[in-house]
Amino acid sequence: MMVNARNSEASSGTARWLVGAVVVVALFALPFILSQLGRTGEYWIWVTTEMLIMALFAMSLNLILGYGGMVSFGHAAFFGVGAYTVALLMKKAGAPLVLALALAPVTAAIAAAVIGWFCVRLIGLYFAILTLAFGQLLYMVVFQWYTFTGGDDGIHGIPKPEILTPIAYYLLCLVLFLICFLVMRMIMNSSFGLTIRTIRENMERAKFIGVNVRRFQWYNFILAGAFAGLAGGLLCELNRFAQTEFLHWSKSAEPILASLVGGMYSLVGPAIGSAVLIFLKIIVQQAHPSLVETWAIFLGLILLVVVLFAPGGLVGLYQRLTGKSET
Amino acid sequence: MRRTVLKGLAILFVAFLFGGGALPANSNAADTIKIGFVADVSGIGATFYKSQKAAIDLFVQQTNAAGGVLGKKLEVVVRDAQLKPDIGANMARELILAEKCDFLIGPTSSAVALAVTKVSKEFKKVVYFHTSNTEALTSTDYQPFMFQVVPNTVIEGRGIAQFLSKKPFTKYVYIGPDYAYGHTQHNSFKERMAQLKPDAKILETIWVKVGETNYSPYIPTLMAKDPEMLFTSLWGGGSATFIKQAKPYGFFNKTGITSLYDLDMLRVAGMDMPEGQLGYARAAFYAIDTPQMKEFNQKYFDKFKEWPADWAIMAYDGLIALTDAIKKVNSVDSEKVVTAIGGLKFKSLRGDRFIRAEDHMMNAGIYVGTTTKDPKYKDFLIMKDVVEVPAEQVWFSLDELKKLQAGQK
Amino acid sequence: MSVQFYLFLLINGLSLGMLLFIIASGLTLVFGVLRVINFAHGSLYMIGAFLAYSLSLLMTGGSLFSFFVMLLVVPPLIAVIGFVLEYTLFRRIYRAEHLLQLLLTYALVLILDDLVRLVWGGDPRNVTRPEFLAGSVSFFGMALPTYNVFILCIGPAIALGLWLMLYRTRAGNLMRATVSYPDTLGALGVNVSWVMTSTFMLGCWLAGLGGVLMSSFANIDLAIGMEKIIECFAVVVIGGLGSVGGALLGSLIIGVGITWLPVLLASVGVQEASRWALVFPYAMMAVVLIVRPWGLFGKPER
Repeated sequence: MMVNARNSEASSGTARWLVGAVVVVALFALPFILSQLGRTGEYWIWVTTEMLIMALFAMSLNLILGYGGMVSFGHAAFFGVGAYTVALLMKKAGAPLVLALALAPVTAAIAAAVIGWFCVRLIGLYFAILTLAFGQLLYMVVFQWYTFTGGDDGIHGIPKPEILTPIAYYLLCLVLFLICFLVMRMIMNSSFGLTIRTIRENMERAKFIGVNVRRFQWYNFILAGAFAGLAGGLLCELNRFAQTEFLHWSKSAEPILASLVGGMYSLVGPAIGSAVLIFLKIIVQQAHPSLVETWAIFLGLILLVVVLFAPGGLVGLYQRLTGKSET
Repeated sequence: MRRTVLKGLAILFVAFLFGGGALPANSNAADTIKIGFVADVSGIGATFYKSQKAAIDLFVQQTNAAGGVLGKKLEVVVRDAQLKPDIGANMARELILAEKCDFLIGPTSSAVALAVTKVSKEFKKVVYFHTSNTEALTSTDYQPFMFQVVPNTVIEGRGIAQFLSKKPFTKYVYIGPDYAYGHTQHNSFKERMAQLKPDAKILETIWVKVGETNYSPYIPTLMAKDPEMLFTSLWGGGSATFIKQAKPYGFFNKTGITSLYDLDMLRVAGMDMPEGQLGYARAAFYAIDTPQMKEFNQKYFDKFKEWPADWAIMAYDGLIALTDAIKKVNSVDSEKVVTAIGGLKFKSLRGDRFIRAEDHMMNAGIYVGTTTKDPKYKDFLIMKDVVEVPAEQVWFSLDELKKLQAGQK
Repeated sequence: MSVQFYLFLLINGLSLGMLLFIIASGLTLVFGVLRVINFAHGSLYMIGAFLAYSLSLLMTGGSLFSFFVMLLVVPPLIAVIGFVLEYTLFRRIYRAEHLLQLLLTYALVLILDDLVRLVWGGDPRNVTRPEFLAGSVSFFGMALPTYNVFILCIGPAIALGLWLMLYRTRAGNLMRATVSYPDTLGALGVNVSWVMTSTFMLGCWLAGLGGVLMSSFANIDLAIGMEKIIECFAVVVIGGLGSVGGALLGSLIIGVGITWLPVLLASVGVQEASRWALVFPYAMMAVVLIVRPWGLFGKPER
């Protein structure tokens, strides 16, 4: 499996870089093309910005989900911590955006370190449920702590620097997204990443060859939390509010669904998945008024089809179509 | 074979994406006024949405039949915010930018409303709130492009305190959902009661989770205080469930209950609802004695085979105010319409009303009364001796407003 | 507060726990045999409640007869729905990863919950309690609702029934054997997939029963499924995934905890005690998972 993947990677390496470069150029050009389309275009700039952010969120989860084989139902906790970090720093402490965005992954990583320390002691379903329990605990704390977090009203009216036009913010998110993408790629191709994958494939064996499984999983959990925190901070600034929903378990489900639809066993899969889901939600509702009321059924059916017929997601489907093996 | 099928599926999928993507390019013809409704369609929002949408459809149908507004037809586009603020904000942006809506109608959830009002401010499009009644919309989060036609939480809390302070009770207990709505209403009630009747005390305060379905753990604790009156911020199915569960404990032998008796709540409580309980409605179709209301009731009943819930009446009133403002400035440009909203006087279903210039709050009071059976309505109780606590007596004073609005950055 | 008062609360809490147990036992039973945590269990319970509502409209409300008809008709109907789901969907994913199984059931939640809205509308619904159970009995001079007492009796009956079935019948032996040695059982000529289907149907039957009991207990709306599934999660995790006895203990801990905790906290001077008590199920779940991940009654997996 692994060897196979390596070979195909080597042979199509140049082609991959080329495709990557084209995609990046297209992503940079996109807002300028969209802005020619008037207000509709302006809306799609908002949407694509959100897609980038949610893609980052989904990719961050995939570090533990796809690469680490650890199903977390509490990943939104770190997304929320990042969002509230930005909201509180900017609204209450008057911090500049750059500082707030820099600190969002830090606080999220701290939260992930604490929660992760307990969670990595468990495996499989038990791990999943403990992350859910911690996620919901944090959610309730934020929900109830009116004086600090604003309770369920959330924190609104986060300042927006003048220079941040929608296009500028899109570009900021894009640059951060690409940096994170490259960093994640680097990490996952490093010996650390290979160890994480080894643990996923066979935890017992990893233990036998002397890998400190818990420690590696813990580090990975913290890493994933940090990237999620950055995503949360970015979404908070985009919407200019932080809200308890950001920590709710239904928010944790979003990147899981995105990873599933996009494909869990590649870095870009979850990003593609989350973009596709956001896109679908909008155009389905635009397609016909009756679909506004039945979007949940629609989403449920998509999931059913993916689970039953294409568990590798879109990337898996693509690989099957082009005859490439799954990594 | 398998691969061909997969390829076919992929092509279909791509075709679907682009086919769908091409659809929103619908033109915004000059002869329509597009109104975007950021609704909470799914989940527990569904029951509110049904009445809101019905009333809005009725208004659009009537107005268009009468030639529209400024000769333009009204058109409503709905999006589901799913009770989630970030989705609500996104949908509001879509309605304004992609669907080219000229105006917005707000959602049910207050948390979503707070997100939507920010979008309205950013894009300078008028929005009105008819069910989401957080007082923050007109105070700490006030922005001129919104107006609110529902009695806000403070008006409710103070109004009910004013009403109850004239009754002989002094021993109160409270139970409410543990979120902003419950806490604000509780505090407003407590403060106003302390001013009006210092000897009245809240002996026990219990917070339950939002959407709680089991009150039996709390009912004995409330009863242990031997209260004369329970004030609760539970609403809809929640307060109806409370009543259903408290009844066999003998709770109502000694204690009364005061709550929001909106039509949906009265319908679901049905004949479980005890008679002679004091309570309030945001807009009671059976008690408001204006010709417009009577006509509306009849038309609504003829069309939907049921009576209009409070949310229907308020959603409809909002559209009256909005279209009046449009007519007044003779333009559909939100930036012009907004100049007509502060101080606007209009004929609402609830009578002659105005929108206060300082906070764009309609002088919407609450309707207080006593539950009773009425032969006209077989499945539910209504309230008798209904009077309105005028908003002017209980809403934020201008001094309070100034402080709260200045609290904004 | 007097001892009687605490006892009264205890009875209250136990009846709350029993209702929880009836629903949670189905969840844990299905997990035990199928190794799938069925998120859609809450949705099936909700469908049961709404079906009970529809049935109640066909008969005179509040009669004992209609209540028994509901109890007899609705749970088997839910079991049939369960059969369809198991046969068409769940069967395909028993060997898949946990994540895919969870996502399949999550997809079902999305679909079923919205179908309920489309079929029954979004309004909360009220099913009148049968007159026989609508009153109250005296307990230390305090009125205790008969319906709570009724649930308090049904819960142990179900627990006993489940125990007898699991440990005293052939079907139960097969179920328990499937938990431990599905392959051996298959090799012995037992139709394992049939055992799984029946277990799933039994789980759904319990969800349906819980739905019927709930429909007369509170008003039902579109949120009750989600509310209950989270509580059941806590119960099942605390008791031990797959253990029916654990589900019973977990239900009683949660039920009594929720009831006692606000009063206990308040009596030691905690402000707004009821708000703190809301965190209890999650905190309890986290503590159990950290200290004893396999739950109070469960067995460590490896």
